[in-house]
Amino acid sequence: MTKSFVFLLSFFAVGFICFLGAILFFQALPFLSSDSGLLSWGYWDFREGEYHALSMVWGSVVVAVIALGLAFPVGLGASIFVSEYLTGKKRAAAKMAIELLAGVPSVVYGLLGVAFLRNWIFSPLQSMGAPSSDTLFTGGVLLAIMVLPTMMSFSDDALRCVPRRIREAGWGMGLSHSQTVLTLVLPQAKSGILGAVMLSFGRAIGETIAVFLVIGRSDQLFSPESFSLTSVLRAGQTLTTKLGGSEISIAYGDPHHWSALMALGGLLWIGIAALTYFSEFVLPKRIHVP
Amino acid sequence: MYLNTRSPHFELLFRTVSALMTGLSISLLLFILWAILWQGWGPLSLDFVLSPMRGAGGEGGIWYQILGTVLLLITSATVATPFAVALSLLQTHYFSRSRYRKLVSSILHLLNGTPSILFGILGFVFFVKWLEWEKSWLAGGIILGMMILPTVTLALVQRMETIPKSYIEEAMSMGMTEDQITWAVHVPYGWGGLLTGLVLGLARAAGETAPIMFTAAVFSGAGFPSGIKDSPILALPYHIFNLAQDAYSPNAIETAWATAATLTAVVLTMSLIALPFRARSHEEAKK
Repeated sequence: MTKSFVFLLSFFAVGFICFLGAILFFQALPFLSSDSGLLSWGYWDFREGEYHALSMVWGSVVVAVIALGLAFPVGLGASIFVSEYLTGKKRAAAKMAIELLAGVPSVVYGLLGVAFLRNWIFSPLQSMGAPSSDTLFTGGVLLAIMVLPTMMSFSDDALRCVPRRIREAGWGMGLSHSQTVLTLVLPQAKSGILGAVMLSFGRAIGETIAVFLVIGRSDQLFSPESFSLTSVLRAGQTLTTKLGGSEISIAYGDPHHWSALMALGGLLWIGIAALTYFSEFVLPKRIHVP
Repeated sequence: MYLNTRSPHFELLFRTVSALMTGLSISLLLFILWAILWQGWGPLSLDFVLSPMRGAGGEGGIWYQILGTVLLLITSATVATPFAVALSLLQTHYFSRSRYRKLVSSILHLLNGTPSILFGILGFVFFVKWLEWEKSWLAGGIILGMMILPTVTLALVQRMETIPKSYIEEAMSMGMTEDQITWAVHVPYGWGGLLTGLVLGLARAAGETAPIMFTAAVFSGAGFPSGIKDSPILALPYHIFNLAQDAYSPNAIETAWATAATLTAVVLTMSLIALPFRARSHEEAKK
């Protein structure tokens, strides 16, 4: 009795998850099969019936790369210090700080971005020719702070997974602390750190609300004549901010428009699923904490 | 350039740089906490917390936003609990030596990584459009419950895996059936795991905006819900989200900060409660 009840509930839960995935897939299908060029060169304007996702894919990737470019050195350096140099209470305190940083809601990060980051970043951006401070770059900087805890705690786990005897062997051979870390511990932890980078990347791409508030949300980056690398300093759009915008409520009446948005959602999900899936291979066997 | 890694200067440099990175991260946290307090402390008062919003959000308090968020949390916990218990029993008990266990945990893993905005949109399609509910607290609660399901399940699984083998062996030696063992050993032992999992999950759910913006929350014009599947609610994160977009109105921004201070206090308190658990399972990873 209990057993069948457990199986029934589990089946229902897993079934509902698969069902939602199927909704996304089947609603995206009409658009994808209509030869509409989701990933071909062009911009997105539903009033003109132009549905090209390149602006959003570019936005998502650029924002995540900027975030990781900033969060990777800081996160790795900090995790080396916390894992290799700190012990006992100090280590526990530093780890608590990481957990708290991870706990701040993303909408609060968004508010911090709107109220502080945008003003601080304005004059350097302006000197580089940006018309306003709502840019892809601003979104990337804000995201860097948000993925820092992920980067730190997963790198820390990777470093702690290296057995202590390896360090002891290094010290025994007369290596200094830093040499032990650089030549023995880091090579062993390499794959775990790669996993940390992939998970942080996935988190950066999937984040919506904070980026939404500072990115400017313009779909026009990829009009053929205007695209250049300086678009990093312009208002842009990511996959998630597009899906979080008001277009969702407008689009439902128009099957083609809606299907195009669902295709964006599918793209996002596939990207994240791939990152999560591959990170499972490279992450060391550890007790997962979500 | 030749870098002599044997020199004590290099050791000092290495240590200093990594310490600076740690210092930077911790000062970020301190700055964030200080900024929230500094901006939010002024307008925050008991009256602000206990009175409803007036006008376009710049005035009045956040009483109904708090009620809405609490209602969402209760609903999502109620939704997630039975499924999490079932899924964890499935993984640790019935499938403990089965290859399906990997499949179930992979699906939960995928669910855990799914961006929250997708939950919001799929919930919008299913509940609001297909089932023709209005935006409602029930739809939002169910979606948030799904979102925290992996967290709660994982905490339960980790707890149940620590059940000493002898407990189960003794129960078997007393001639208990499989079902009786489940109820007499697994379920009581799992309580602690369920509670930590719920606290962890709800701390995340409380701050989420994306899953509820299309399914449950409105900015104004809702009070205490009068219906089940047709009553939208106000919620703390959605309130901040809307006020933050009105960044040039000083009144709105002031209210946004006070709301953010309230929400952050609630969420960080919950994170702190669950902290020993998280710290412990991270430390265990090094074995």
